[in-house]
Parts: sequence; C-alpha cells; structure tokens
Amino acid sequence: MHLYLPVALTSMNILVPVGLGLAVGLLSGLFGVGGGFLLTPLLIMFGIPSTVAAATDSNQIVAASTSGTYAHWKIGNVDFKMGLLLLAGGFIGGLVGVQGIKILRAMGNADFVIKITYVLMLGIVGGYMFIESLQSLKKKKTEEVKPKKESAFGKFLNSLPLQTHFEKSGVTHSAFVPIVFGGFVGILAAVMGVGGGFLMVPVMVYILRMPMHVVVGTSLFQILFNCIEVTFLQAYTNHTVDFILAVLLLIGSTVGAQVGTVFGRKLKGDQLKIILAGIVLVVTVKMVFDLTITPDLLLGQAGGH
Amino acid sequence: MNRLRYTLQLALMTVVISAGLLSVSQGELSAELTTKANHDHINIDFFYHGGSVSIRGVSDPGTDLVIKITSEHGHHTLRQKGKVGVLWMNVGTLKFEHVPSVYFLQSTRSLDDILPAAEQLKYGLGYKALAEESEVTPLKDPSQKGQWFKEFLRYKEASKVYSVESGKISLTRKGGKQNYYIMMDWPYQAAPGDYLVTVYAVKDRKVVEQAHAKVVVQQVGVIKSLSGMAKNNGAFYGFISVLVALGAGFGVGLIFRKGGGAH
Repeated sequence: MHLYLPVALTSMNILVPVGLGLAVGLLSGLFGVGGGFLLTPLLIMFGIPSTVAAATDSNQIVAASTSGTYAHWKIGNVDFKMGLLLLAGGFIGGLVGVQGIKILRAMGNADFVIKITYVLMLGIVGGYMFIESLQSLKKKKTEEVKPKKESAFGKFLNSLPLQTHFEKSGVTHSAFVPIVFGGFVGILAAVMGVGGGFLMVPVMVYILRMPMHVVVGTSLFQILFNCIEVTFLQAYTNHTVDFILAVLLLIGSTVGAQVGTVFGRKLKGDQLKIILAGIVLVVTVKMVFDLTITPDLLLGQAGGH
Repeated sequence: MNRLRYTLQLALMTVVISAGLLSVSQGELSAELTTKANHDHINIDFFYHGGSVSIRGVSDPGTDLVIKITSEHGHHTLRQKGKVGVLWMNVGTLKFEHVPSVYFLQSTRSLDDILPAAEQLKYGLGYKALAEESEVTPLKDPSQKGQWFKEFLRYKEASKVYSVESGKISLTRKGGKQNYYIMMDWPYQAAPGDYLVTVYAVKDRKVVEQAHAKVVVQQVGVIKSLSGMAKNNGAFYGFISVLVALGAGFGVGLIFRKGGGAH
C-alpha cells in the first residue's frame, strides 16, 4: 500500500519507510547511534528530497532515541551527568559548526569540505574501532587483561581542574573534558549535517573510557536532545519535516530500538564495537565509490548535502 | 483505517463526478476542434499514487494532432555535479529559466514529420522549442547551454515529469469527423497545481487550430491540512512532530515492558 507524503510531495510504499526505520532503530538500540548517516542517503535513494530526508530523519531519531534511552535507562545504562555535559559541549560546538559552514558556503567550497570530512571521519573512526576491537578480542582469547598503563594524554586529562566522578560510568574526569570533546563532535556534526552519534560513541569509549553499554545509553540520551532541537528548527525555519514519513519511520525505529537493546545485552562490548566499526567502514567504502564513479545524472535537487 | 479510506474514496468520487458535470462545456473552443480532459480534477489524498488523465475530442478528418500538457513556465535551480580532481561532487547550482515544471507532449506522428522547426518554436512544441525559450545561468561558456539543457531534460525525464512521445493518440472516423482519444498516466511526482492542456490540429505542416482544457491537481483532506500547517504554522507543526515522536518512543517502551520484553 502506498501513502502520499505531503511535504516530500511523493508517494511511497509504506513497507519501505517502516522497514528502513526498523533496521536503523535496531542499530540505534545496539550501538547508540542515531543512524542518520545511514538513513538519510537511503531515503534520498528512494526519491525523498535531500532536505526533507535529513529533517524527517531527525524527527524519527527523536522517537527511536526516546525508545532506546528509555530501554537503557531501565537497565541502568544512562549516565545523565556525563550526557548533560556532552550535550552542553555539543550545543556550543553545533553553533560554531553552523557558522563555519556559512563561511565555507560563502567561499564556495563547502561541499568539497563536507564530503572529504565525512569520508575521512568515517574512515578513521571505523578503521580505528575495527582494529582496536579486533586486537582486544584476540587478546582476551590468549591472555588475561592486564591493567593499562596511563598515557601522557591520560595524565594531562587528569591534571585538569574541576575533576568530578561519574558514578554510572565509573570514571573520573574534569568537567571540561566532556564539554570540550562534546563541542568537537558538535562542530563536526554541524559541518557534516549529521547527529554525530557515530563520532560521539568512539569519544566516549576511547577518550572518556566509559563502559560500552553505558556509552550506548548515554549516547542515545544526548542524541535525543540534539534531534529535538534540529527537528523543531527544521520544521520552523525550512518547513522540511514530513510528518507522515516520520510516523512511518518511527513505527519501525521505536520497535527496532527496543529489539536492538535486547540484542545488545547479549553481546560483549568489543563485539558491539567491531560490528559498528564494520558498518561504518561499509558506509565509507560506499561513499568513496559514489564519489569516484561517474553519476547517472549530472544535475540534482538543490538543498541538503 | 478502512472507514477512513472509504470516506476518502467517497469524497474523491463525488469531487470527480461533480467536476465531470461542470466540465461538459469546458474546452469546446471551436466548432471543428474540441477537447475535453476527463479526470480533470486529480485529488491528492492519503493513498494517492498518481492518476490518469484522458483527453478526447473531435477534429477535422486528416489532421494530425499534438497534445501538450504543461504547467506555467518558471525557474528551477538544480545542483550541478562536476569532477574535483578524481572526485565527483556538487560544484555549484544552475538556474534554468522559462521552463515548465511539467511538460508532456503526445503527437499522432513524430513531431519533426508533421511540423517544421519554426512552427514548433512558435507554439513551444518539443524539447528544441523548450531549449530555445530557456535560459541557463551561470555558465562559464554560453556554448555549454545545449549540454546542460540536455542534462536538465534527462533529470526531468528521470523524475517522470517530462516526456515527448508519438503514436499513442487513437483516431477514429465517425460522421465525417475524426474523434481522438488518449489516456495518459499522471505521475505522483507532479506537484499540485493547475496544468494547461492544449490540443493543436496540424495540417500541411502548419498548426491550423487550437483547443484548451485544464487539469487541476490539488491536495485534499489530511494531506492538505498537514501541508498547510507545515508551510504556514511551522512552530506548531514542529512542536507536534516532536511530541508525537516522544510519545511514540515512550509508548513503544511501555508496550515492551508490559509485554514482558527483556527487562
């Protein structure tokens, strides 16, 4: 059965958005990513204008991350204190990033910077996570885990003022650390036009040293607030949120997020990391492929990335 | 859901029948050439997936016919892809001016076989005429216009809103007159709006007569309300969108807990 989408001005078989929502919700519940980096290009592929795809995706992420945050909160996997500090940093970073994009657009090379940033960030994050989790999985098979020696970077982070203990995550950091790194992710997310979950997760795992399961719940918590802001602003300023499409997507994604949370509990942290790294690397390869192969059409709809 | 669908279908049928009754006299501009577009009100409802438009009329025997359905001419801004080093990416935007958003052309025979270029240009018939009328900016070199207009046509054809075809109009002789008829698919990609149907009677490589009709594509019911709210009341629309998403997220979370779930 097809439904007409009043803002996208197109008709779509309802199984497509519900199925896509289910798949992305599953990833959301499993890994704590919003899934915008996957869903937006998929929606564009199915004929949704790029501006509507990005804005509506934010709307459905609100539903998926609410569902996921709620599921993770029930099992004690959300570090609200850390989440709020990351959120504050992300908000400031987002404002900086949006100004940066304006300057780049005025200079005329925004698209090049966005594409290159996207590929590099996805490639580096995916590659690092993949290698690190693979080594970690191999080590665990052969030897007992030895206590890690603190690096110079770790010592530097510990020397910063306003040290505070994050009980849920079992770590102690200066309050500046999540704010600064949240800000860094916020800048990149604004430049790339994504929620930034796939960047926030590695920051929490490798820099903030949080346990993977708490990372997933906390990431969803801060994604929820980012996407509420983005959805409202997109609806208010650009009129690009398609309510019908968002409802169809969220029917799938809210259920997917719950199922993902259940599956996530059955997998170990390193297993989760290596699967996420694999998905990120596949998306990177697909992007490189798209950038190097001559496109079918040399003109496209204006708007979006 | 079934009741809603039934109500919407009933409303749609009523509108179509009323439109049919109202349009009996529409398009009869000449004693010789007449045209009428059935299904001339296409309603975009919840379950809309495109429609069909049938055009019929009477013409002098032995005349060829060209049927053009077009929207008002305006401008379209599209992203231009180009190569930067070894990478393909958006390198700017191109503005195509004096072009319609929808352009369908059907003729009894190939356009070039029945009309000379000058006549095609005079009446805006065919892609060559569209290209002549259009402007493409900004171009580094004006000679690139042809290449980019071809790309524009490829983009529009891929979007299913442009087509030029021949041989699909059926002609029958009755009482010394020629009846013509064509049923065309109306793509869901065509935006709501008023579309002009023009039928040209062609004899001896000249347009000898024209007749007009109108096709109105409009949003109705829930679709119209949501579209209007998104455009005119963005803040409320955004608030509702967020609220529904939050409610759905919590709702599903509660269902999973009540259903036993994993927790």
